[in-house]
Amino acid sequence: MKDGGLENKKELENSKKQSNSSKFRSKSDDFALSIAKVAVAQVCESIGFQSFQHSALETLSDVAARYIYTLGKTANFNANLAGRLESNVFDVIQGLEELESGLGFAGASDVNRCLANSGVVRDIVHFVGDAVDVPFAYDIPRFPVVKDRKGMGSFWEKGEEPHGEHIPSWLPAFPDPETYATQSTVGNGTMSGSNGVKTGLVRVEWKVERPLLNFQQQFARNGNVGDSSCGGGDSTKAKEASNSNPYLAAPLHFGEKEVDVSPVVLPTKLSNEVASRDPIPENRFLGNQVSVLETFATAIEAMKSGICEYDGSRQKNVLYNQRPTVHFKIGIGKKSLNSAPYFISKNKDLQKIAYWFENGNEKDDRKRRAEIFSKESMECSHESGQL
Amino acid sequence: MNPNPQSSDGKHDDDSALSDFLASLMDYTPTIPDELVKHYLAKSGFQCPDVRLIRLVAVATQKFVAEVASDALQHCKARQAAVVKDKRDKQQKDKRLILVMDDLSKSLHEYGVNVKHQEYFADSPSTGIDPASREE
Repeated sequence: MKDGGLENKKELENSKKQSNSSKFRSKSDDFALSIAKVAVAQVCESIGFQSFQHSALETLSDVAARYIYTLGKTANFNANLAGRLESNVFDVIQGLEELESGLGFAGASDVNRCLANSGVVRDIVHFVGDAVDVPFAYDIPRFPVVKDRKGMGSFWEKGEEPHGEHIPSWLPAFPDPETYATQSTVGNGTMSGSNGVKTGLVRVEWKVERPLLNFQQQFARNGNVGDSSCGGGDSTKAKEASNSNPYLAAPLHFGEKEVDVSPVVLPTKLSNEVASRDPIPENRFLGNQVSVLETFATAIEAMKSGICEYDGSRQKNVLYNQRPTVHFKIGIGKKSLNSAPYFISKNKDLQKIAYWFENGNEKDDRKRRAEIFSKESMECSHESGQL
Repeated sequence: MNPNPQSSDGKHDDDSALSDFLASLMDYTPTIPDELVKHYLAKSGFQCPDVRLIRLVAVATQKFVAEVASDALQHCKARQAAVVKDKRDKQQKDKRLILVMDDLSKSLHEYGVNVKHQEYFADSPSTGIDPASREE
């Protein structure tokens, strides 16, 4: 114990959270128990111990705290038995004798003994005479700290008149009417301080909800993405809307670029994708496959933009100058990569790349799930081990 | 009649001894702080404005802890002496006296406190190792 056990204090407190909580040792008692640990550690050091196990110190400090508690309880009981509220020294000595009766003390069998002459007291006197005076290591403030509670003023204290004769004036006054919650939110004419805050909050909530509603509308629209005609019909409306709200803009067709990205030198594995993109425009006009292409194109674009971020900082500047539109085609792109039949025959490189990224995502999901499962199982085993 | 004055003198002596002792307690600062003792006494319902009584309780607790610790120390030394007989090398290593759960439970058992400690939890690398060499 180099410094009275301070270095172990934090670890002890952390380990204490896992210990069983009983009626005696409640959570609010942590401070007192940690002080007890320090005190007991100091006593052990004066005895001759050089270090200790955490569990042993915890146990001994808990026993010491219970000793004090039991002494107090017994002394109080003896005082009450004698018809007193406050204990005196003889109550305490009787309590001490009761605790020491297990091992015995000098004069325990004496029936007519006087408490003042008790063997327990003599033992304590000897102990005080022999022991080295080791004061406690820290300055402790008075605890538990009693907060000064500002009680709610009564009618009488506030100088207010109660609302009716049935309300006595010594009862606490009603809160200010301005703090009452109101039903109307936006467009409230009279706004006082607290009420204004509340309506402001409600307005903020409305603002937050609006884009969420728009998202839902957008998703509902994109649920029917199979028809390119649908996209064309809404294009005019979408263009109008896109001026105001970018989330309502129509999805880009393949080849269109809202953001002009300067040509970028891609690494070799991605250049295959670029090379293989050329045959795609030929397939664009394959009857029913157009919608699938569109979704695939946007997914490729999204992937590409994602790839470009990894490539280096020079491209980041290009990308982040203008904010690219966000295309919400979640989940559809992946399915199209698998289900489109012409991929099996042609564009094996493209397929490979698609598989790379798709499998990468899947593997990440699988890895994540596996990690979660292993974490949960470890936690379960940890808990069961401790029990 | 004769025993009465003697016994009353004896009582006076005892009382004075006790009061002297309580007065001397104020000079001696026990290791266990007063605030901690006050906290637990208040929790148990003990009411007394007299500081000397609180000191008395603190000293009594310190004596108790010291006795338990010294018993545990003796157990620890006995174990080390038993081990040294086998290997002379350990005499150098085991100079550190560690308060171990084993020794503590043995010494507390004599005072009526039964503490049983788990031998090991099978989830750490140091399971099943001799408790003396395992330092937490």
